[in-house]
Amino acid sequence: MINRKEQPVIKKIESVDFLAPKKLKITPKVSLFHTKNVKDETTRFDLYFDAGKVKAENGIASFVNGLILSGTKEKTSVQINNDINGLGGFYESGVSIENAVISMHCLRENILPIFDTIIDAIKNANFPEKEVTEYFSDSKQRMKINSEKVSYLAQKKFQKLLFANNDKYSSTLSLEDYDKVSVEDLKEFHKKNYLKGLTKVVVVGNVEQNKITHLAESCSQFIADDGATFSSELKNHSTEERIEKKGAIQSAIRVGRTLFNKNHPDYLDFLVLNTILGDYFGSRLMSNIREDKGYTYGIGSMISELQKTGYFIVATEVGHEVKDATLQEIKNEFKRLQDEIVAEEELQLVKNYMLGQLLKSADGPYAMMDLYLSAEIHGKNLNFYNKAIESIQAISSERIKELAVKYLDWKEMSVVVVG
Amino acid sequence: MIKYEKFILENGLKVLFHQDTTTPMAVVNTLYNVGARDETEEQTGFAHLFEHLMFGGSVNISDFDKPLQLAGGENNAFTSNDITNYYDVLPKQNIETALWLESDRMLSLAFTDKSLETQRSVVIEEFKQRYLNQPYGDVWLELRPLAYKVHPYKWATIGKEIKHIEDASMDDVKAFFKKFYCPSNAILTIAGNFELEEVKKLVNKWYGDIPAGQKNDRNIPKEPEQKEYREKTIEREVPTNAFYYAFKMKNRLNPDFYISDTLSDALGRDKSSRLYISLKKEQQLVSSIGAYIMGTIEDGLLVISGKLNDNISFKELDVALWKELDEIKKKELEENELKRIMNKIRTSKEFQEQGVLNRAMNLSMFELLGDANMINEESTSYQRITPKDIQRVAKDILQKEKCSLLKVKALPNDK
Repeated sequence: MINRKEQPVIKKIESVDFLAPKKLKITPKVSLFHTKNVKDETTRFDLYFDAGKVKAENGIASFVNGLILSGTKEKTSVQINNDINGLGGFYESGVSIENAVISMHCLRENILPIFDTIIDAIKNANFPEKEVTEYFSDSKQRMKINSEKVSYLAQKKFQKLLFANNDKYSSTLSLEDYDKVSVEDLKEFHKKNYLKGLTKVVVVGNVEQNKITHLAESCSQFIADDGATFSSELKNHSTEERIEKKGAIQSAIRVGRTLFNKNHPDYLDFLVLNTILGDYFGSRLMSNIREDKGYTYGIGSMISELQKTGYFIVATEVGHEVKDATLQEIKNEFKRLQDEIVAEEELQLVKNYMLGQLLKSADGPYAMMDLYLSAEIHGKNLNFYNKAIESIQAISSERIKELAVKYLDWKEMSVVVVG
Repeated sequence: MIKYEKFILENGLKVLFHQDTTTPMAVVNTLYNVGARDETEEQTGFAHLFEHLMFGGSVNISDFDKPLQLAGGENNAFTSNDITNYYDVLPKQNIETALWLESDRMLSLAFTDKSLETQRSVVIEEFKQRYLNQPYGDVWLELRPLAYKVHPYKWATIGKEIKHIEDASMDDVKAFFKKFYCPSNAILTIAGNFELEEVKKLVNKWYGDIPAGQKNDRNIPKEPEQKEYREKTIEREVPTNAFYYAFKMKNRLNPDFYISDTLSDALGRDKSSRLYISLKKEQQLVSSIGAYIMGTIEDGLLVISGKLNDNISFKELDVALWKELDEIKKKELEENELKRIMNKIRTSKEFQEQGVLNRAMNLSMFELLGDANMINEESTSYQRITPKDIQRVAKDILQKEKCSLLKVKALPNDK
């Protein structure tokens, strides 16, 4: 008879195989990172630009990013898209507070012509009036739709409080912005932040060296004259704000504060604390607020990193009638971590879980590249993750309590409730 | 080419093994042949609620998640109208923990009142979060019963109404388990850096003694052929008018399935597709438009949906849309157009097969359809499609009397 009552013996993860991409310097400051070790036909390339939202007012950074393929003197947006789609490429672009990125997924046999199409579109983008008008109208409509979502409204409000001491970081798009921005503004931003704004190139895929060299050479024309500068002095406004939304049957809650990134000595240990609190299915917040009380479909906490700093956030959507009860429970969970020592059993579980997830984050060339980039952006190499393994294995319950006292003080938090 | 081995245990459990020597992770994927289509109309949302209960402890193990997390793993599950699928991903050296957990909950659940009570409220919050508290969130709750009159695809997996979830009793839960959760009604797929003999030994050890149970021989009423155009307008406090045209199409195993998928790509997959170019870029009638198929096992839907530009009427859109649909029925696709679509299909297929979890889930799904090896034939099925095939299927599907149209009319916002 097999023993169904007892868990089979588990084996610990002692080490993880991390594989760094090849680094090809385009200039002393800007590099192309390439992972060649892909066994199938897939490939991806990303172009990073110093063209994040902090670089301009009135949503200009978002507009330029969204309109980057809108046409050149020679080609319309329809032709550009047709050239990409015709070769089976999947285009994506995105803009965050500090960065803009243009990404392409395609088969490796098509990487060169697709890449050349993208480079030409970026280089010669001339923002045709008709395309801009259409984009603004679509984008406004999307914004109106989003504004019906409590989660969107809460996130916007939270960003205001989180970066309260820096207008560039706290500013979010508003409907008025569409009337304030001209085609000239877009062109100027494009010239400054794309034509002279490239900060990094990433390629994953079994692509031949001569093609990689071509990519690097083509990109060299866009390189920024000087390095990007970002704020390291962000500080949240500790207060609570509530927004009523008529008819909402759920409320969105955000609780958080500015914190730090991988460069802070407490980062790795705080990661363990954060996991215990809200970063896995069995976390304190999930166990209490979802699995015990049934207030929500999901609740989680995370650390989000910026170039020079970072922040901590708890986010959830709960039944309208239990929003205050939920806030109280989040507060209680912070308090418990400050007052009580985490039991050895729970700590061991979280350690094993985190190591398993790290192993998974390094599984496969695409995941491995993302893991590498998340260290590289903070000036670290893959040794950071070996340190992470040691630090996760070594952390004590006392240390977790100490960090909870230091960083999870409710008085330091910005709290937003919408709904 | 995705290689796999297949073996069947004496109790009827079908097992697939996919070897991947490059990954340090193991995948244990369990597909149960039960979905929202197996519910009765008076008790909808049950398959999905049940999926939640599968995490509330099993007969010998009080907690599902903790031991898996202790082993460095994680898991999740999803329910569709056709199936319920559970997966565990964990470091390969600890695969036995996943087999221990999964086999125990196949054997029997703990059936605690607390678990039922909590998951009822969690699912009700999910209902609110995803279907009620989102602009356009309830569209599928309206469109399904418009397109299906008899077949259980007429309700969404979350259920027809919250009350059905509130009313679920422990007796219902137990009966549901007994009927659907057993080796004869499941497909287990293991993937990772293992050898076949090792997998056979482990699977036999943990699953060999589970009673076979009954295969789910479902007797679902077939949806009668739609012979009349249907239209419904709902008014909601949303910023923009939206439209959903749903056309009846063939089931998953019909050769026309892949052709219909390709047809939907031609109409509205991306910014080079016909509807996007014509209705958005040229005529400026819509702010967004897309076309896709639902991909269900039984007779499905090809859907064209989008949002109107301000000052454009549903009527104007309707005229322009049907003109495009008539065009694709009248004239064969150009070679170039088809080549573009096929290139995109090839790229997405390659990416879908990237991760070991994806491969395990897809193998399970194809095995349910009759043969896991169909995963390796899919590309050929697409690549041999001709412009003539697409024209024929367009003529067959894109008919007014096979169409159900849902219009979401924006109410003036007084807030």
